Amino acid sequence: MNPSQLDRAKAILAMTLQHGADHARVSTYRARNSEVKWRDGKIDQLRESTSMGAEISLYLDGRFTANSTSDLRPDALHRFLDETLAMTKVLSPDSHRKLPSPKRFENRPRQDLLIHDPKGALAQTAIERRRKARQLEEAARSAPGAERIISVETSCFDNETESAMVTSNGMEGKRQSSRFSLRAQVTIRDENNRKPQGVWSATSRTLANLPPGADVGSTATARAMQALGEKPIPSGRYPVLIENMAASRFLGGLLAALSGSAIQQKRSFLKDKLKKQIAAKTLSIVDDPHILGGLASRAYDDEGMATAKRTIIGQGVLQNLYLNTYYGSKLGLTPTSGASTNLVFATGLETLAELQKTMDKGILITGFTGGNSNEATGDFSIGIRGHWIENGVPRQAIAEMNLAGNHLKIWNRLVATGADPHPYSSWRVPSLFFSDAQFSGSG
Amino acid sequence: MKRDFNRREFFKLAATGSLAAGIPVWLPACAAGSKNQLLGKSLSDGAHNTYFDSFGVDQGMLARTIQRGLSRGGQFCDIFLQHEISHWLALLDGEVNRAFTSVELGAGIRVLKGDSTGFAYCEDLSEPTLLAAAATAATVADGPVKLRPAPLAAISVRDHYPISVPWTQVGAEKKIPIMRTTDAKVRARDQRIVKVIVNLGDIASHILIANSEGLLCEDTQPMAALMIFCVAQQGQRTEMGQRTISARDGIGFFSAANIERAAHEAADRTTKMFDAVNAPIGELPVVLAPAGSGMLLHEAIGHGMEADFNRKQTSTYAGRIGERVAPKHVTIVDQGVMGRQRGSINVDDEGALPQKTLLVENGVLRSYLHDHISARHYGTQSTGSGRRQSFRFPPLPRMRNTFMLNGPHHPDEIIASVKKGLYAESFTNGEVNIGAGDFTFYLKSGRLIENGKLTRVVKDANLIGNGPKVLECMDMVGDDLDMYSGYSICGKFGQSVPVGYGIPTVRVSAVSVGGRQS
Repeated sequence: MNPSQLDRAKAILAMTLQHGADHARVSTYRARNSEVKWRDGKIDQLRESTSMGAEISLYLDGRFTANSTSDLRPDALHRFLDETLAMTKVLSPDSHRKLPSPKRFENRPRQDLLIHDPKGALAQTAIERRRKARQLEEAARSAPGAERIISVETSCFDNETESAMVTSNGMEGKRQSSRFSLRAQVTIRDENNRKPQGVWSATSRTLANLPPGADVGSTATARAMQALGEKPIPSGRYPVLIENMAASRFLGGLLAALSGSAIQQKRSFLKDKLKKQIAAKTLSIVDDPHILGGLASRAYDDEGMATAKRTIIGQGVLQNLYLNTYYGSKLGLTPTSGASTNLVFATGLETLAELQKTMDKGILITGFTGGNSNEATGDFSIGIRGHWIENGVPRQAIAEMNLAGNHLKIWNRLVATGADPHPYSSWRVPSLFFSDAQFSGSG
Repeated sequence: MKRDFNRREFFKLAATGSLAAGIPVWLPACAAGSKNQLLGKSLSDGAHNTYFDSFGVDQGMLARTIQRGLSRGGQFCDIFLQHEISHWLALLDGEVNRAFTSVELGAGIRVLKGDSTGFAYCEDLSEPTLLAAAATAATVADGPVKLRPAPLAAISVRDHYPISVPWTQVGAEKKIPIMRTTDAKVRARDQRIVKVIVNLGDIASHILIANSEGLLCEDTQPMAALMIFCVAQQGQRTEMGQRTISARDGIGFFSAANIERAAHEAADRTTKMFDAVNAPIGELPVVLAPAGSGMLLHEAIGHGMEADFNRKQTSTYAGRIGERVAPKHVTIVDQGVMGRQRGSINVDDEGALPQKTLLVENGVLRSYLHDHISARHYGTQSTGSGRRQSFRFPPLPRMRNTFMLNGPHHPDEIIASVKKGLYAESFTNGEVNIGAGDFTFYLKSGRLIENGKLTRVVKDANLIGNGPKVLECMDMVGDDLDMYSGYSICGKFGQSVPVGYGIPTVRVSAVSVGGRQS
């Protein structure tokens, strides 16, 4: 019988303190992953693993190191601790490096966050995963346009993870979670050797909450078909609608500027914007770690601090930053938590299709390619795919174009959010409608 | 699964300096013919005295594991063992006050039946665990035993990146002064620099590969990296910039000259942003500066020539070997053995010796990049391109060091030929849509070309084009090939591997530039 993760974490913590650390945080995990990848009528890959490891943060004479190992043999751990403690001793002390105050470990949510399927890794067998992956392909090949299909690749993935965290100042936590995913990718034939691809996927904490595989497969084909004939259109400024599933990549450029490291290192375009208007009133984002079944739901964060629901942006006003203990201390601010969890948006009343109908002339973005955002200035430039819309109707599939602008400006042009928060991501972003944006394409 | 949570910041910073390529490591045996008799005892010679150096497996265990892998009718089985120790030290606000150590030990076992793969890995290298993992991988097949594994025979692998002192013997006290010097040199370069982060990383990875065809080999793969991130302020304006250097090398890589050059470039790249204007908008001629612009080759053609995408018919280049895709002066190579370049390997992760592969020769498409599976599919030899992030992943065809050979033109002549265009100098990331062939690469900084001369600095624009179309448009190629010396990571199917790339000055007659209006 394997020891529980909590027992293992406690044993490693005791060992760490015996080796001379003043304080320490130890996390351990054990994860089971199973995946079937299916391609064109047969198994492409079967992948199975049980993986484990430990992460050990060491605090010694005001000095700090963080270390991870997958070699948990006792002899190896002893040597690992000797070597990492020796390394810790030669660093400079840093008074801001400390474990969170024990008060921050209190007030964890009481309810079960429902992030673990009652059957866990046993929810489905290897045979069932195989059958599902095959069904995804069958659905993709039964959808309209199937005669154009060159290749269908699908996947059925299950994960179950048990983890535990303990700190030398009294925090103890354990967590059991699961994750199930379905994915289909369809490649079709177009003119001039172009082979547009359509991808659709869904992820859920419980098997029962996954959508039918048939929907995932047929949606992938439909998305590939929508890309037929895609090409760039002339450069210009147009209204833009960003589809919910694509929008999180765009949002990432805004949220990266909210991290404690970006703010403290003066490389954030939002460094002086706390409690100020940074976006249109249409934009409200709440970070909610307690959504039942949420893909990023958690009772405690990476430092062991109890999680809490926080408004990040309220009606366009920046309300909170992502501050861990270290950067909170450096900035003289109360820590929040160092990373985002589930993001919930104020949504509108209209679906993507309804928003599209209100568009006289403009661009619907269904996917981003490459690009980047300058954290210091907010300038961004990103490759896009999607459709040219006229009178509410898609007229031309577009690709090979860029969307460029500045995050401090474009979010003020957010005129509507959709009624359609994307359910298969921790960032539940709805479709986003901006009144005006710069596109570059042909000419 | 989130791992190394405290290192996330590093990777986030690192990611801005990398090929986040649209799709995302590791002493060699036997330069002098001795190391691969080590199986059954410690895998390193007596010089390495930490626990890190021993897999603790013997040849009999390997053979029995392979046999178990083939127990259900598999046609091929290989086992990849890895022991990797990596360190990162970070200087922040003038002090080296953070360090990260990671130890990874494990084995990945793969069984093939046709082109179907069964794969399992384990982090405990005891025989029962290895056998259990092999039994799991074996389930890709379902029938009687078809193949008896060949007896294992060690091959020697020549070491093209030897280092005198392994990273496992270099303490932090030797690295800290390098970081302090770097910090001081960046700050001394320009008063406008207000923040400096210096990260110094090293990796010592030891791999061992054995397969059912009797192959047995090992390699030790070192890596050194220095990353400098700066923030500068001028009045109300803030700009950030970076410079990274990386190679398969030891501590000697961080020579005074290398550090000074990197520190000065980091500062200069940051402060010159204050002079920048917005990049232009729309299609225009682009002149690619040497070295870093090689990222374009990686995205525009490299990924599309990885044989898995062609075997599956999903690449825009599928079925086009022998076709002309570029002007005559364009020859593009992907090469595994290339000194201390980041993408260099003595042996690939399937035990094949890395070849020099001609992707495009004088404008004509020549060869895909093959791993074991695709080589068998196409009835050819592996090009030594089978690579993996770690023992946790099965290998895939991947690039190593991708570059274009010199052409007939002088760089000055190329710039002088452009009336109105963009001179593209430094890039941070790129991506490609394999099927459509559309690729992007993000220009961090460059210059405008006006009437044949380099003028204003421009910054922050995504460049987008279609691979085959852009290759056709490479109408002038310079004679100044240089390899990129920075840190670059390529990602594909969730696996990251270090890569290298390079290019001479090249003119592309039309690329779409995603600038902003002022």
